[in-house]
Amino acid sequence: MRIGVFVCNCGTNIAGTVDTAKVASEALTFADVVYATNYMYTCSEPGQQEIQRAIGEHGLQGVVVAACSPRMHEPTFRRAVEKAGLNKYMFEMANIREHVSWIGNDKAANTAKAADLVRMAVAKLRFNQPLFSSKMPVNKRLLVIGGGVAGIQAALDCADGGMDVVMVERKQYIGGKMAQLDKTFPTIDCSSCILGPKMVDVSQKENITLYASSEIESISGYIGNFTVDIRKKATYVNWDACTGCGACMEKCPAKNTPDVFNENLGSARAINIPFPQAIPKKAVIDARHCRQLNGKKCGVCAKICPVKAIDFEMKDTIVTEKVGAIIAATGYDLFDHSVYGEYGAGRYPDVITGIQYERILSASGPYGGHIQRPSDGKEPKNIVFLACVGSRDASVGRPYCSGVCCMYIAKQAILTKDHLPESNSYVFYMDIRAPGKNYDEFVRRAQEEYGVQYIRGRVAKIYPRGDRMVVQGADTLLGVQVEVEADLVVLATGIESSAGAGELAEKLRISYDQYGFYMESHPKLRPVETNTAGVYLAGACQGPKDIPSSVAQGSAAASKVQSLFAHDTIETNPQVALVNERNCIACGKCIQVCPFGAIQWKELRGGIKKAEVLPTVCQGCGVCNATCPPKAVQLQHATDNQLLAEVNELCA
Amino acid sequence: MAVGWVKRSAAHHAVSEIERVEKAVLETSRMQLHKLVEEALPELEMMIGWAESSDPLQTTPIFIRDAKSISKLTCGPLCSQNLTGYLVKPPALDSVPKDAKPIGICVKGCDSRSLVALIQEKFLTRDRVRIFGIPCRGTVDWRKVEKRVQLLNVKSATVEDDWLILDDSGTTHKIALEEVLSRKCLGCRYPNPVIHDVLIGQSATPRSTDLATTYRDVDAIEKEPLEQRLAFWQSELDRCIRCYACRNACPLCVCQDKCIVETREPRWLTQRAGIPEKFLFHFIHAMHLAGRCTGCGECERVCPMEIPVTLIKEKLNKIMEEMLGYAAGLDPDAVPPLLTFNPGETEI
Repeated sequence: MRIGVFVCNCGTNIAGTVDTAKVASEALTFADVVYATNYMYTCSEPGQQEIQRAIGEHGLQGVVVAACSPRMHEPTFRRAVEKAGLNKYMFEMANIREHVSWIGNDKAANTAKAADLVRMAVAKLRFNQPLFSSKMPVNKRLLVIGGGVAGIQAALDCADGGMDVVMVERKQYIGGKMAQLDKTFPTIDCSSCILGPKMVDVSQKENITLYASSEIESISGYIGNFTVDIRKKATYVNWDACTGCGACMEKCPAKNTPDVFNENLGSARAINIPFPQAIPKKAVIDARHCRQLNGKKCGVCAKICPVKAIDFEMKDTIVTEKVGAIIAATGYDLFDHSVYGEYGAGRYPDVITGIQYERILSASGPYGGHIQRPSDGKEPKNIVFLACVGSRDASVGRPYCSGVCCMYIAKQAILTKDHLPESNSYVFYMDIRAPGKNYDEFVRRAQEEYGVQYIRGRVAKIYPRGDRMVVQGADTLLGVQVEVEADLVVLATGIESSAGAGELAEKLRISYDQYGFYMESHPKLRPVETNTAGVYLAGACQGPKDIPSSVAQGSAAASKVQSLFAHDTIETNPQVALVNERNCIACGKCIQVCPFGAIQWKELRGGIKKAEVLPTVCQGCGVCNATCPPKAVQLQHATDNQLLAEVNELCA
Repeated sequence: MAVGWVKRSAAHHAVSEIERVEKAVLETSRMQLHKLVEEALPELEMMIGWAESSDPLQTTPIFIRDAKSISKLTCGPLCSQNLTGYLVKPPALDSVPKDAKPIGICVKGCDSRSLVALIQEKFLTRDRVRIFGIPCRGTVDWRKVEKRVQLLNVKSATVEDDWLILDDSGTTHKIALEEVLSRKCLGCRYPNPVIHDVLIGQSATPRSTDLATTYRDVDAIEKEPLEQRLAFWQSELDRCIRCYACRNACPLCVCQDKCIVETREPRWLTQRAGIPEKFLFHFIHAMHLAGRCTGCGECERVCPMEIPVTLIKEKLNKIMEEMLGYAAGLDPDAVPPLLTFNPGETEI
């Protein structure tokens, strides 16, 4: 093989601590290397032309570029060598920037290491084979998992672009957490007024299929061709018939059903439509509290329903949808503050969470928008807000900032003053984080115009005194202990990943961090892509986010889907596993361990069984190769021989 | 323990009484085996067992198809081979059609675990084998015998009670069985077959019930400083002649002529006879058995260079038990932890 080596200076990024000219001259001594040079910016247009020129001039059959991470520019250089007539897999990259120049200052050592890496890349390249991808049709339908504001935005954007969208929502209504909010910061506009039209749009768009009360059962396939099984949970109400009239709710005798939508501040009925603007406006029976479903004599709803929609025999059903791309927009959950014993561990009815306070403030909430204490219904005078409950606290496993609490506390304090002009609000905070547009001004307004008292310090203890709660804390700016007698305490509970986020990630085959937030492909440059092609992220499932960011990310994910769907076909990745049938001993271990179900039995003439890889399902993870005892399964472009060549070169 | 031995020798008269009984038990087991095999043979394609060989200290595998040969079958501490490999490896079964009648096989406790592992990995189906389980008090390592006494021409070897009695050209050697048992037997937790259709003789008492006893040899090496361990393995593996007897004898080494130490595609090993190559071979062998090795010790038994190669696998077995709580070859329905993909395993 005739190999050319191109060592990139990357300005001074590499050349600052690596003698690139020396690396190039050393490369000329490696087996099969017939040309080597260094260049200022190899990824630049002239840099690529230099590679192409050298391929023609020196009859190169393979190219090594020693530069940055292949995650940056491998596609660039593959295209460049392809344009010059080589197969794009006859190219290898040695990462001498992230792995060498950026991490050490010793120029001699760096230069030696860079030369080692180039030597390994050359050794691997000598075993490279031209690989060819095939074309697969793209199914231009989108699956959106989660019907919160991020998912809604993504679905609407794609539906507007003329694509078919399938939306799956675990709850019986869409709108997510935003549907529970009263007002939104920093504009104090009504949450349901701005979200409502979007929710209605979802239900009215003909090219959006909405599965509410449904969950993802399983996902198979790959970019452009996913098959998704959706579990439609038994609602015990035939939604095709249900008109959402609500007559059943009025007559249902199971009056002690927890009102989940109102954060358990009131009680609902076992058959319920959670709020007036709910989409879809369909009733669902809570099987845990329904008298009929728990063997008692009832069936009142069935008798009262004018359209006979009640079906106590209903079972979960599985529907299968085929889509070409998936947007995960599963949102978040709120921290369970009961781990804080010093805040009462959830024992005190007048120590509530921020989201409960949203419901109290809401006109459609349990108290009709009148601020009162859950314990005795009295109007509170002193209200204390605690920031960072389950945020920035490593002791409860939540070292990160939830990003929204400072703002929603300010909003709630302002609204409190609007509702109860005589009231006093106090905020215990660590730092105020208000970096968004008009955010800091908003917090200032709370302090300066609405007289909210901000106390910088943590609260040590909350305990009852009479019918009030004593909040004991420190004012670290004054260096004194403070004690506030409060009628109501609002804990600004932080954001955590949605319950079941990990299980869904496994089904989607995407990575998630230690807190359960989904990992983007690159924190800066690929913020809505995941490492599984065809799966994108929107909203707080990727990390704590406020509404504007969630909506922006919803649109961003939608635009990624649209650029994917702009093509009729996609190229398959040939870097997948391949079975050498001569070596396969038919032990079946690869089939057992494959996380993607990408390997199956194949029967040759005479009934001889061999393993066979489905190249379109294979993700190239290599578990089969690691498991195969005779190494009959080889991962293309990372074969044992290629890896061994690198190791041997390093150890030589 | 030693005191006990002396006492017994002194009370020689009483001992010979027990010896006769023990010998009778062994004889009874053999007769029981013959009877059971005779009954079963018409329903079997073949019976795989042990027979006496020209060397009285070692038995030989026997493949019985007709009733005349049944009398050659034997059992007892001299039957050291693990026969289960013959069920999955050529050439013994090459002539047996797949839809043939079941194959009978004699197994000791350790052998039965290999059988379970083969069933787990679907190399065998349970109904293809008729298992004659034989509880085992340990097998004789002939090399240990030769190290203890100078042997010229052994005419016969018999086990009576806790003694191995050799008739060597007229001289009688009486050796405590305990002192010539195979290394693996001394930490044996499963002397009784974990899977069987019939059981022959009385059940045996496990010599070990804990990891510390079973893995005492691994622990001893682990206590050594790193340099010493390296030096130990270098000197041991330096003797390796890469005859692959260990691989061939292993009932779970099923790749046969596709074994990657001999293939050129992919080319993991060269023919260079250096210590690194020998290391690599033995560690590939061990890694391929991680979570599968049942510790039957065949690799070590057959090694012509007396390298303690089972020890490498024992180390992996210990890791498997400590980390994953898994010992191979006990439950035919269990999935070996390294042969599955479980996303829930986040701690590993």
